[in-house]
Amino acid sequence: MAAETEQHGERADQIRDYIDRIPPLSTTVTKVLEVCNRPNTSANDLNKIISFDPVLTGRVLRLINSSFYSLPEQVSSLTRAIIMLGINTVKNLALSTAVARTINAMQSQQLLPSDQFWTHSLTVGLTAKALAARTGVDDRAHDDFFVAGLLHDLGKMPLLQCFAADYASALQTAREQQIPLYRAEEQMFGFHHGWVGQEIGERWKLSSTICECMGGHHDVSKGPRESQGVVATVALANSFACHESIGFAGDSFPDSEQMSQALQFLKLAPADMEQLKQTVQPELEKAQAFIKVL
Amino acid sequence: MNPDPDIIVKFWGVRGSIPCPGPTTVRYGGNTPSIEVRFPKEGNRLVILDAGSGIRELGLNLMATQLPKGPIQADIFLSHTHWDHIQGFPFFTPIFVPSTTLKVWGARTHDSEGLDQTMGDQMSYRYFPIRGVELAARIEYLHLQEGQVDLGDGIILHTHYLNHPVLCLGYRFEYRGKVLCTSFDTEPYRNLFCTDPNDPDYDAAVAREAESAVREQNEAADRFMTGADLVVYDAQYTQAEYEAGKLGWGHTPMEYACRAGVRNQVKSLALFHHDPLRTDQHLDELALKHCEPGAYGPTEIFFAKEGMSVVI
Repeated sequence: MAAETEQHGERADQIRDYIDRIPPLSTTVTKVLEVCNRPNTSANDLNKIISFDPVLTGRVLRLINSSFYSLPEQVSSLTRAIIMLGINTVKNLALSTAVARTINAMQSQQLLPSDQFWTHSLTVGLTAKALAARTGVDDRAHDDFFVAGLLHDLGKMPLLQCFAADYASALQTAREQQIPLYRAEEQMFGFHHGWVGQEIGERWKLSSTICECMGGHHDVSKGPRESQGVVATVALANSFACHESIGFAGDSFPDSEQMSQALQFLKLAPADMEQLKQTVQPELEKAQAFIKVL
Repeated sequence: MNPDPDIIVKFWGVRGSIPCPGPTTVRYGGNTPSIEVRFPKEGNRLVILDAGSGIRELGLNLMATQLPKGPIQADIFLSHTHWDHIQGFPFFTPIFVPSTTLKVWGARTHDSEGLDQTMGDQMSYRYFPIRGVELAARIEYLHLQEGQVDLGDGIILHTHYLNHPVLCLGYRFEYRGKVLCTSFDTEPYRNLFCTDPNDPDYDAAVAREAESAVREQNEAADRFMTGADLVVYDAQYTQAEYEAGKLGWGHTPMEYACRAGVRNQVKSLALFHHDPLRTDQHLDELALKHCEPGAYGPTEIFFAKEGMSVVI
């Protein structure tokens, strides 16, 4: 057991080392480079292209919230970040992040294809935003729900990149035993992508709500009461994307118990989710058309 | 002239972007930003704002007038690390004197890079014959964030992030009820997002949020200078120049600066960071337009000149 804990500790250290080097999803890289290399990139295009990539969104928010910026209130909106940092700073940040690559990207891409992962993340973001509107959340907070949904699975990337072979085994276990992926991750690593996601959120100084969504979207009941609504929304959006098989982030057998819990918490019925599809699908298609790589 | 000043401010460099010496800049000066601030009631404590090319002559002056009386000690506050605000540092002679003690304050420009590295890089061997680490003076680099610092001797410093294409700080010194404030290099925040509902890119929620972010940022910038005795404000462009291609360059149209000074009950406003293309004659003409008493309101407005002193 001691040896196992030690191994977990080493893995956790490797993950922490990797967090600062996470590259954006290759799905969006071409478009990011194209948009940012234009001499007169518009704020709207910049906002759109960044908001479609969980890593880039996280990095821009990280820059504005990081310790040297030390603003009194954390910024969780990309629009606000662009106003405060200016187009050029954000553009250069996106460019420098977009050109970063990892050596084993090829191997990990076969395990969890980037375009599928991207579609899943975006669907969860869009669904969380639509759910926020459906459950009467204040208009001004809708974007926070989108960002929380978009980033929820970011914790999978370091696991995938640092331990591709072990992650392949975890994916296989989930498939063979028909269990949620996070359980298979737990068996393999002693922790799951929620912990890694929370670690990313804290290191990048993202808002506490986003951190809790990254950490708690597989355990709605944990976490502070004030963020349970947004965590439940993201958990439900995640279950929805998995059940509907829109995109793929490795989870073929999501926790159905959790979906019921989240529905109950948000006082929604399964039929409400059917209606959501009509809102989310056209938004997703618009995003796909913008990226034009799918 | 105040016979018992609490703060004395002297401009050693008032030009933006690049030094521009020559016959057309003799009266206002061609050196890039550097301002000497003295607190006569605190042993004539020395604070220097920015290390543009103007700091070279300030350094020579310190060598001649201060060093014979004792070691040179100063706090240097950098607004940011663009060239025109740091290029004079390698030519600031006191850095080569072993008895000199300097504290260099500023924002960390890059996440992974300290101010010492950013400043030291311009004294790497490829750019300058003496390396930063070889300087004789004792130099301490201190990183600032937005907030408040007690500088001792009753001097309280407030810092505020400005709107410039790199992390840039405005400074507000409060001492014995007097306030000196700097706001350069900066430009008013504006909505960068599409606001035309007929444009296919228009997104109502984004446009609305951007609008509220802009309003809040501009209000915070206003509050920062409210009630100051002297504000040294970026005024690189005229409104017409600004609108004709300088939006987003991180500098303020002078008309906006003047209105901001009046709006925020500033006593004196020094228009600063003159464009390198601005000649003495042109500045005189602009002064007639903008600096006549009452042109904008009760605030006294003037274009800063090299060698000019202001007592507070």
